[in-house]
Amino acid sequence: MTVAKSLVCVVDDDESVRESLPDMLRKFGFAAEVFPSAEDFLASEQLGQTQCLVLDVAMPGMSGPDLQAELHQRRLAIPIVFITANGDASVRPSLMRGGAVECLFKPFSLTAFRDAVHAALQPTSRGPS
Amino acid sequence: MEQDLSRVVDALPGLVWTALPDGDIDFLNQRWCEYTGLTQSEARGFGWRAAIHPDDLSGLLETWSASLASGAPREAEARLRRFDGVYRWFHFGTAPLADAQGRTLKWVGINTDIEARKQAEAKLRASEQRSRSIIDGLPANLMLMTPEGMFADGNRQMMDYFGTPFEELRTLPVDAKIHPDDRPELMRRWAHSLASGEDCDTEARFLKANGEYHWFRTLGVPLRDDDGRIVMWHLLQTNIDDRKRAEVLIAGEKLVLEMVATGRSMAVILDALCGLVEGTISAGYCSIVLVDARGARLKHGAAPSLPESFITSVIGRPVTVHSGPCAMAVHDGRQVIAPDLSTETRWADDWAPMAMAHGLRSCWSIPLLSSAGKALGAIAIYYDQPKRPTPEDQAVIDQITHIASIAIERAQNDAALKRSEVFLAETRRLSSTGGLSKRMATGEITWSDEVYRMFGFEPGVPVTLELILTRVHPDDVFTFQDMLDAQQLGNDYIHEYRLLMPDGAIKHLYVVASAGRDQDGELEYIAAVQDVTPRRQSEEALTKARSELARVARVSSLGALTASIAHEVNQPLAGIINNAGACMMMLDEDPPDVRGARETARRTIRDANRAADVITRLRALFTNTQAPLEAMDLNRVAREVIALAMSELQRNHVVVRTELAESLPTIIGDRVQLQQVILNLLLNASDAMSAVSERTRLVVVRTERDAGEGVRLSVQDAGAGLDPEIADRLFEAFTTTKSGGMGIGLSVSRSIITGHGGRIWATPNAGPGVTVSFSIPPRADGMAEAGRQGVTATPAASDPGRGMSESVSPR
Repeated sequence: MTVAKSLVCVVDDDESVRESLPDMLRKFGFAAEVFPSAEDFLASEQLGQTQCLVLDVAMPGMSGPDLQAELHQRRLAIPIVFITANGDASVRPSLMRGGAVECLFKPFSLTAFRDAVHAALQPTSRGPS
Repeated sequence: MEQDLSRVVDALPGLVWTALPDGDIDFLNQRWCEYTGLTQSEARGFGWRAAIHPDDLSGLLETWSASLASGAPREAEARLRRFDGVYRWFHFGTAPLADAQGRTLKWVGINTDIEARKQAEAKLRASEQRSRSIIDGLPANLMLMTPEGMFADGNRQMMDYFGTPFEELRTLPVDAKIHPDDRPELMRRWAHSLASGEDCDTEARFLKANGEYHWFRTLGVPLRDDDGRIVMWHLLQTNIDDRKRAEVLIAGEKLVLEMVATGRSMAVILDALCGLVEGTISAGYCSIVLVDARGARLKHGAAPSLPESFITSVIGRPVTVHSGPCAMAVHDGRQVIAPDLSTETRWADDWAPMAMAHGLRSCWSIPLLSSAGKALGAIAIYYDQPKRPTPEDQAVIDQITHIASIAIERAQNDAALKRSEVFLAETRRLSSTGGLSKRMATGEITWSDEVYRMFGFEPGVPVTLELILTRVHPDDVFTFQDMLDAQQLGNDYIHEYRLLMPDGAIKHLYVVASAGRDQDGELEYIAAVQDVTPRRQSEEALTKARSELARVARVSSLGALTASIAHEVNQPLAGIINNAGACMMMLDEDPPDVRGARETARRTIRDANRAADVITRLRALFTNTQAPLEAMDLNRVAREVIALAMSELQRNHVVVRTELAESLPTIIGDRVQLQQVILNLLLNASDAMSAVSERTRLVVVRTERDAGEGVRLSVQDAGAGLDPEIADRLFEAFTTTKSGGMGIGLSVSRSIITGHGGRIWATPNAGPGVTVSFSIPPRADGMAEAGRQGVTATPAASDPGRGMSESVSPR
């Protein structure tokens, strides 16, 4: 087990996303964990080790933006890559203003996804603490 | 010779005597002397007179003197005293004895004992006397008429009745005392009897001494001598006035009641009543006044014998005691008698002078009261002389008043009934409603004219089941038979069916039937039949419009769901791309991770299928094609809809909580339609909470088992709640609580749910917000198609609030 692998967590209520994205992330060379809801993520041990959060916008219960606000509240500066199946591009500006590294619209290309995760793991992308 | 003759005469067994031509008795035979006890010498000359009864002597002598004077014999009768002092009646026969020249030489006399005959005669006289007194005492008129038909004699009763002496009667025409109306008939029959000798039996009115006519039955019998010749007619008259009046009254009453029964006009009936009074009470005039609808003024009824100017002076008078006897009788509800108007003080300054100016002198007014005691009017009897009612008059008045009240009340009721019948007929015509009755025992069916028109048959054609079935639409024959079967149960029912007319037109008939019992206790249906064709046609048009609206509503939901749709499609697309990408990378490895690649390829296919499913569902939801009925689990349907709408709900910050009951019964229906309803409820709930910020925008979707095998789904929001004014109309089209909504959703939802045989309703929550629920009943497989049709033709059966039992399934 090498120390270098960054932990990328995926929070999405959609099972197919939870199945496919970790495979991709591991191929890209990251460690990956998945959670079906924001609440589950907040309750997990990985909360503190997460270096990048791939977060679905629309979920039952706490939504992606809600989790973003909650993390901010807890002063946990985890870079977030939002993914959304909602085709409405108007949500992107507010998410970006809230400190997101990227907002990808499903379906997104693998390249775009990899670039976004890499960008998130750059030291500069860490949000203000 | 003389000596011999004397001996012969002496020996004769009779009382014999002789007298000289001057009348001096010169011989009396031995038997005469023995009988009287007088000797020859005592009796001769004038001595015989001592044997004659003192009362008879003068008469006897008178006759004797007359005989002597004329020389012609005269007969006489007198009592002769026997030797023992007893008087007996004797006949005194005499004869002159003349010489050849005709000179009277002597008178010969013979006395014959006629005591026996005399006694018989006395007895007869006494008996005649008795007969006479009996005849005079008869409570009937007895008249003797000559064979020629002229008046000869009569009894005292008859004398008293006519008040005319016999002598005068004998000189009067024989028909002088007969009522003019009865005269021709009576004289015709009397003439017939005189000619034929047959008995005569007649009824006619005869004039009484006081000027009244009374009814008599006159029985005439001829008296014949030994040769059969008619010597006299005996006429016996019996007073039948009471019976005759009663007969006239009854006949009159019958006539009046017939008029009432045959629906003659009030004017005709009242005229007949007046005629009845005038025919029963002699010499009076009758009028009837009625009371106007408000009971305030008199109005004209009838007065066939009174002058127009008098009538117009009476009608219109207010119903007060001051207006006149009729108004007073109506006002007081009591009989008013004005026996002499010339001394009448009650209406002395107005009514009485007016009446007297018309020649009237007395007036009796009797109120006509309804069975409930309400004054209908008054009957008045006028005379041109002062008069008070006799007890007989009063009896007749009471009788006629009674019948008049009945007739008027009945006539008024009939008139009211006729008006209401006309009203009913007009109402039926305007509402295209007919009536029918059916007696279950005989199957006899009766139609009103309207029903004949609906069926297109000539009124009066006998109605049979076969005839009806020739018109019933072939598709409705089964439910029609069901209805006939259900009639046997004797329940009220509502039934709707179609007629297929010969010209191919279709009529919709709506029948509301009520079961009852006829007078024999037999089951009988009375039904109203309404031609609801126009209504059904407009309903069909409405249904078409509604399904068009529903489509519009669906399309407008499409806009609202754009985000959700994109989400639903993008989700699997993302999965496909990710999985396909991962698959490629696995295959690029060395050695290729074939097992992993296979797994990711499998996921790729799964996600692609999922995307295809979404497209199929969307296509179903937003196109007009009808999906087939299918069995389904309402929980699953609800989950699918929630998934479809989730992103939209989340965008509105709505939290959905599901409380889905386990193992719900399967329902049969149109999945797409039900999904649309649920989606509509979810979006409504979401919209209802758009202004809520102080609490969680929570939507609870709940399913549960309903009564029986039905299922229920409710959507509970935490919004502002319902305006009570709108609550009642919530499910009507174009009722909306949203500023941007068209108000179509719930109306469409309702038609879908009722189409599934269910119902939909809204209830306010204990806390904030509203819960909208629908229930779907379990369906037998055979019923599914019927329920399905109901979506496009809202069936009567699903309409709540009908009191009558439904005997047949909705069409």
